[in-house]
Amino acid sequence: MVIKMDLKEKLIILSDSAKYDASCSSSGSSRKNANGVGNAAYSGICHSFANDGRCISLLKILMTNSCIFDCKYCINRRSNNVKRAIFTPEEICTITINFYKRNYIEGLFLSSGIIKSPDYTMEKIIETVYLLRNKYHFNGYIHAKAIPGASEYLLKKLGKLVDRLSANIELPSDNSLKLLAPQKSVNKIDKIMTTVKENKSRFFVPAGQSTQMIIGASSETDLDILNKSEHLYNKYELKRVFYSAYIPVNSDKLLPTIKMPPLVRENRLYQADWLLRFYGYKVDNLLDKNNPNFNILLDPKADWALRHLDEYPKEINKASYYDLLKIPGIGPKSAQKIINARKVFKIEFSDLKKMNVSIKRAMYFITCNGKYYFNNAISKGFIESNLILDSKEKIESIGTQLTLFNE
Amino acid sequence: MSNVYLYNNSFESLMHLISKIILLKNNPDNIKNRVNYEPNLLDNIIDLELKDTKELKLFLNSFSLDILHTVYYVYLSENDNKELIIYYFLKNALKYHNEIYLHRNLKCVNMAINISNYVGREAHKLKGFLRFKLLKNNFYYAEISPTNNVIEILSNHFKKRLKNEYWLIKDVNRNIYALYDKKNVYYLTDKEIVSLNLELDNKEEKFEDLWKSFFETVAIKERQNFKAQRNFMPKKYWNYILEMENRI
Repeated sequence: MVIKMDLKEKLIILSDSAKYDASCSSSGSSRKNANGVGNAAYSGICHSFANDGRCISLLKILMTNSCIFDCKYCINRRSNNVKRAIFTPEEICTITINFYKRNYIEGLFLSSGIIKSPDYTMEKIIETVYLLRNKYHFNGYIHAKAIPGASEYLLKKLGKLVDRLSANIELPSDNSLKLLAPQKSVNKIDKIMTTVKENKSRFFVPAGQSTQMIIGASSETDLDILNKSEHLYNKYELKRVFYSAYIPVNSDKLLPTIKMPPLVRENRLYQADWLLRFYGYKVDNLLDKNNPNFNILLDPKADWALRHLDEYPKEINKASYYDLLKIPGIGPKSAQKIINARKVFKIEFSDLKKMNVSIKRAMYFITCNGKYYFNNAISKGFIESNLILDSKEKIESIGTQLTLFNE
Repeated sequence: MSNVYLYNNSFESLMHLISKIILLKNNPDNIKNRVNYEPNLLDNIIDLELKDTKELKLFLNSFSLDILHTVYYVYLSENDNKELIIYYFLKNALKYHNEIYLHRNLKCVNMAINISNYVGREAHKLKGFLRFKLLKNNFYYAEISPTNNVIEILSNHFKKRLKNEYWLIKDVNRNIYALYDKKNVYYLTDKEIVSLNLELDNKEEKFEDLWKSFFETVAIKERQNFKAQRNFMPKKYWNYILEMENRI
């Protein structure tokens, strides 16, 4: 039975059920304003930060939270007794345009439960996005979910209208998927990702595709998860893999019972993900069968450095770009600053500080013109205890989303 | 006595003045904006004629866009010595051209880069945090109170983004308005605004309420983290961020 609801009630239900998707990014597109409303900013823009410290950039909603699927971990699964609602395409357009003009948002992130059939659901999503682009002349950012199992021609139609597409893998292995989300299959997701990869252009999903994995709902190790990510980055040229700490919204004998979502683990995976994409690390540098999970006390890079102390200290005035990136506390921006500056002068510790290159964590691992920061030789235990305390402060104060290394 | 040079409250005027001072061979003791300069007995004020726009053009042409971008952003900051930093930065830029960015051990270079980044970061944040309200007269109206004078950067952003809307942005502390009439942006002061009717459009309250509901709902309770929220969205902006008003 459908009860008439006002717009506010719908918005509350349909944003509440969309919030578990970790993606918030609005970057990667340079869509211009062709005499309508809005444009995209290549760097992305955060418009607000929610009470959980996550960036709000897009109006993140479901078209409907009704669903014919019954995925165990999902709040919207068919067997759950929750209030259901559905937006009309016009309603979504009205909210998007009015929020956008008031500068609340960068655009729309539209996902949906599956009603009637995957094709029907996909058609409704397309109808909404088409209206936004052609009736309201909206040129802001649109991220849409591709519905697993929908026809390829619908996916191609949608891809021409949006900036980013995503299909969530949700679980890192086929077995977990079979167990917890029997109606989703690896094949269906694979098909979506392949189509998007093959058609990607300036006019088709310009900001690329992304996916999400839930962390801690199934038994995989960090090694399994990262191997999966590395595979996805290589095979489908994904822009991002998002990791979402499992939050128990349903109880089911197949699901783990936990007190707190594994937020630190999620953060470690994000950090490692960055090491894969921007720092030149490979998964087997970071983890192996004997050591398949990250150290919860230390970030993966610091952990790696402590296990390879013989490779340090690195000389700031000589180390290559990738060697600089192996120094805890030095990221791509700082490494580039160092490379630029040392073309014209020899860098001292005091210069690093002036250039806003933090040495708080780097000081144990570098020399400047052959000089070490400490006068006495220091031990591994000394460095380790200092880094662990630094890292503890950071986890408490920074949250997990944007500043992954604070570099 | 110290020699103080005065410019006329605009970036162009400052650049023009600096082009002349550089030719003088003697470094200035200070360069100040005429508008907020307070005369004192020890200063010897020097006025240079700044009329020949050809002269200015020629000077600007000797720098890359990167360099002009950097000094423009420094100009928008509130740093007490910004004029002297720009002067020394440009003097060195004549010698090093774009390689100037490598010379971070030169104080003026390091300061110029840091200040200009700081201004850029604040402008970027406000592109997100600024909130418009729709008025009865069809204007979208926003108030800001930034640390740096970023209203021009924001106006250039919204000129593209909301090019088919009327909008008005007010910098509350500096008393500057940026008014857009679907064609051009005009920068006005309090005195130049004849009347300003801030009566809200009938639907305004409804959409503000929808936004606040969305903002509260989209946070995951199990992950609540006010510290991270404050780090990313500093308190000094909350006054003008609709959804944070009740948290002050």
